[in-house]
Amino acid sequence: MLTMALLAVLGFLAGLLGALTGIGGGVLLTPILALYFGIPIREAIGTSLVAVITTSTASSSVHLQRHTTDIRLGMTLELATALGAAVMAYMVGYFNRNFLEGLFAAFLLYSAITILTKGGKVKPEEESSPAANGEVVIPHYEPQRYPLGLGASLVAGALSGLLGIGGGPIKVPLMYIFMNVPLMVATATSNFMIGVTATASAIVYYRRGDILVQYAAPIAVGVFLGSLLGAQLAPRIHRKYVVYLLVAVMFYLSGHLLLHLLRGVL
Amino acid sequence: MSELREPAFDRAVAIVLRTGAFVCFFIMLAGLIFGFFVKGPIPLEIERAGVLLMLATPVVRVVVACVLFFREKDRKYGWISMGVLLILLLGSVFGIGEH
Repeated sequence: MLTMALLAVLGFLAGLLGALTGIGGGVLLTPILALYFGIPIREAIGTSLVAVITTSTASSSVHLQRHTTDIRLGMTLELATALGAAVMAYMVGYFNRNFLEGLFAAFLLYSAITILTKGGKVKPEEESSPAANGEVVIPHYEPQRYPLGLGASLVAGALSGLLGIGGGPIKVPLMYIFMNVPLMVATATSNFMIGVTATASAIVYYRRGDILVQYAAPIAVGVFLGSLLGAQLAPRIHRKYVVYLLVAVMFYLSGHLLLHLLRGVL
Repeated sequence: MSELREPAFDRAVAIVLRTGAFVCFFIMLAGLIFGFFVKGPIPLEIERAGVLLMLATPVVRVVVACVLFFREKDRKYGWISMGVLLILLLGSVFGIGEH
């Protein structure tokens, strides 16, 4: 019972941080489940996928109401992300667990460093956009370089199936820089795609028994509430400090994960 | 092709997602609260229903978009949605027989 309450609180914090910073909660929940709840890494990834889907579902309904999501573009790229995610999720079943844990630790470290060097600018334009009054002006655009977009989406999907993450840091710059899509639309569309991408891998994880329902349910309940509150608080908070807090937690978790891995190997 | 500003389309998809998220939240919460009072497998099965519905929500979203595209005679994107749906269903076949 205490475990359940703790999981709900963790989910709440992950959802809150995710909504405030745009950095998904899955990247934090997986190592926490593996390190402090003794869950094997593959089950930890599968379980936090449920939180990733919850976040995307809850937040993309808000983006849709602002009409900033390009459903056609999202659906097209989902052909690639879902395929990459499902195939990789299937292959993960044959991976060595220590390898998977090492990969996750490396990814966590890499993300933390990337965020830090970018100065916490994950989505700089969105904060200045007049989204608050509901009327968002989107310049006319035509998505370009679909072959490149589909190729990179395949990689983003595979990463999602491998590590249980949303893959926003790949998809947003891809659409914004290479496909000529306004940043606001790229952010909303990436978020929109995460639900389907994560579901493609979550179905495979679930069928394999890698989603632990007794952990996933309290976490998802917390994530849902946390992301609702986060969406309300987001305009009123100094995002920079939240990002630094998040980066500190990521560094700590990746270090702990590497230590955990070394202890397991030796 | 990327005409934004299709308020009705956006709203329909948004309603699917919001309904899914809220219903799943309440089912899972009910399972958790039920678990405080009742021992045995029933609370866990309620939670499982919530989790499975959460996984089903994006699938339903693809189905709804697919139907809307075909109704708008936008066949290209209708077939694209059908392709995404097929991949999602393939995913459930992949997982079989491996534990």
